[in-house]
Amino acid sequence: MARFSVACRAHRVAAMAGTLALQGGNLVSRAPSRTEAQQRADEIRNFQRELERLEGEGIVELTAAQRQAIAAYHSRLFAEYTRAYDIDHDVHARQLSLGLRVASFLGALALAASVVFLFNQFWGRLPMAAQVAALLLAALGSFAATVWIQGRDGTGYFTKLAAMVAFACFVLDIAMLGRIFNVTPSDRALIPWAGLALLLAYSCDLPLLLATGILCVIAYFSALAGTWGGVYWLYFGERPENFFPVAIALFLVPQFIDHTRFPRFAALYHVFGLLAFLLPVLVLANWGQASYFDFDPSVVKGMYQLVGFAVSAAAIWLGARRQWPEVLNTGVVFFVIFLYTKFFDWWWAVMPKYLFFLVLGLIAILVILVLRRLRTMKYRLERGSRP
Amino acid sequence: MIRWSRMHAALAGVALILVTNAVLLLSVVYNRSGTPGGTLVLSQRELRLPAYAVAGRENSGLALRLEWRVLEDAVGGASRAAASYSGGTPAWLNKAKLAALGFDVSKPADTAEGRLYYRKVLSKEVLLVLELAGPAYQTVLDDARKQLQDAQALRAADPSKKVLEQRVRNATALLSREETQSSRLFVVDAGRDAQALRARYPDRTKYALMRGQVSLRIVQIDGRPRLSGYISGLAIDEVNVPRAYRRAFLPWLDPSGHSGTPSPPRYEVSVAFGKRLEPWITAVSVPPGS
Repeated sequence: MARFSVACRAHRVAAMAGTLALQGGNLVSRAPSRTEAQQRADEIRNFQRELERLEGEGIVELTAAQRQAIAAYHSRLFAEYTRAYDIDHDVHARQLSLGLRVASFLGALALAASVVFLFNQFWGRLPMAAQVAALLLAALGSFAATVWIQGRDGTGYFTKLAAMVAFACFVLDIAMLGRIFNVTPSDRALIPWAGLALLLAYSCDLPLLLATGILCVIAYFSALAGTWGGVYWLYFGERPENFFPVAIALFLVPQFIDHTRFPRFAALYHVFGLLAFLLPVLVLANWGQASYFDFDPSVVKGMYQLVGFAVSAAAIWLGARRQWPEVLNTGVVFFVIFLYTKFFDWWWAVMPKYLFFLVLGLIAILVILVLRRLRTMKYRLERGSRP
Repeated sequence: MIRWSRMHAALAGVALILVTNAVLLLSVVYNRSGTPGGTLVLSQRELRLPAYAVAGRENSGLALRLEWRVLEDAVGGASRAAASYSGGTPAWLNKAKLAALGFDVSKPADTAEGRLYYRKVLSKEVLLVLELAGPAYQTVLDDARKQLQDAQALRAADPSKKVLEQRVRNATALLSREETQSSRLFVVDAGRDAQALRARYPDRTKYALMRGQVSLRIVQIDGRPRLSGYISGLAIDEVNVPRAYRRAFLPWLDPSGHSGTPSPPRYEVSVAFGKRLEPWITAVSVPPGS
């Protein structure tokens, strides 16, 4: 897959590319994405607050000319970012943005559901040609509307709504054509669905659509793995091992595809990769019969319990080492789940309940202490490595 | 490094939507091209109308459900007609047939290891042969008639027993159901090669091929475990009704719009099966007075 460098709002931000050419000492020849712009704005605010403190305590004192130059540069950046993306200027704006994101997410789901029910309501009254035309036009129209809205929506919230509706229209299009013409259900339908979701995600910088696309990719490749194992594709979930190849591939995506412009996307690949690996391991650690292996189910369970502990511990280590908080946190959550599941197997029946929960609480405290220790060690290492 | 503009993304999206639709529609055209692989004239017995709730205001579409059956082994004198809808373990789906379908059946079914192994084997997609009103249906009909004759003979031998009277009533009802209401569509064979199956069942007005799923079951025959195949479903179990044919079904879909209680559904639907074994409706007729 080629490295993506999707210029989302080329017509607006093209001018910014020139004005923002010098960023952080590096020559950057492209316009920043929304996420990058927001990150930069946050960094500028933090810098301004810290500079005020340093000056207040007499650590450093900038000349009036220097202060003016920095202020002018920052206000120019803010103005450009605001014009292109409607970024958050302060903490209050950020809190409001969270509300807007939630509303936008719920609205996107509701509108997508509305489109599906609307078509269900009327499609039976249309002749076949009109049904096909309506489905195709809905898919094309909603996609075109998304592109149009994206070019005019600085906030991104309306783009998200439109993109979700476009994806729903396309899914409806293919699913309903299959129903109208009695087409045999096939896992291959997941390929174009994943394609459109990923295209919308990258061209509109939408993590929600990326998650949707990743789910389609997981379903397709797991079904493919199941089909290679000789199973009817719809039953791919009955063998949790079918998820392993795609889980590993997803986790490695950010290693091979540069996601500098989409910082949130790399984290999503990591999280979905880990979930697609560790959830099936959790199932197999408790239900050995579901495995491809023909060993005794209790042996399979034991084997996957070990795998679960090893992989979640490795995720904690890797997350701490590479500074991937999402990997570290997912690893911690699964390590604790595997641990608690094992404790449940061993002690639930034999221990008084107060003692059982006391042990769980103590284990949680132990995890906190270990993680704190890890954090302190990392901090010391970083401080020691500085000149 | 590829630099994408908004225009590139838009073109890619439009191309993706158009190509996907084109591929799907071309597959439909291919399926329906040439002479159909078979055309069965099914009645309300084999193609059921949905419940009113399903066909209600929220969904204006109409699809008829394929009612297919399997001729089960007659075990312990039980009726073959019983428990044979939408899945079953027919006698012909034996070890040899399962091996031909690609299942590994080398393990013995009467050991713990074998039971564990066969329990884990998942469904495979195979080709199924559907037979309309053929020998399988005739066997079920004969079975129901024999049950009635046996029940009548027992009652004649001892007319005072109420339970024998009830048995006659049940057998009469069963025979009536088989003659007038139950589906005559049976899955009678399975395979992996469509041409070989068609050569074995050349009558295209009586036999159709469809994709379906087969899994494994261990059944008890005379107290001994025996490996059997289980037909668990058809890939397509509903046939969409185009608007042109929808009118024929309206009296039963919307009884409130018609005077009096509607009579039980009676219709005949010609269903063609194409090159991709996908069905479609080619004609609908309603007998006069229905």
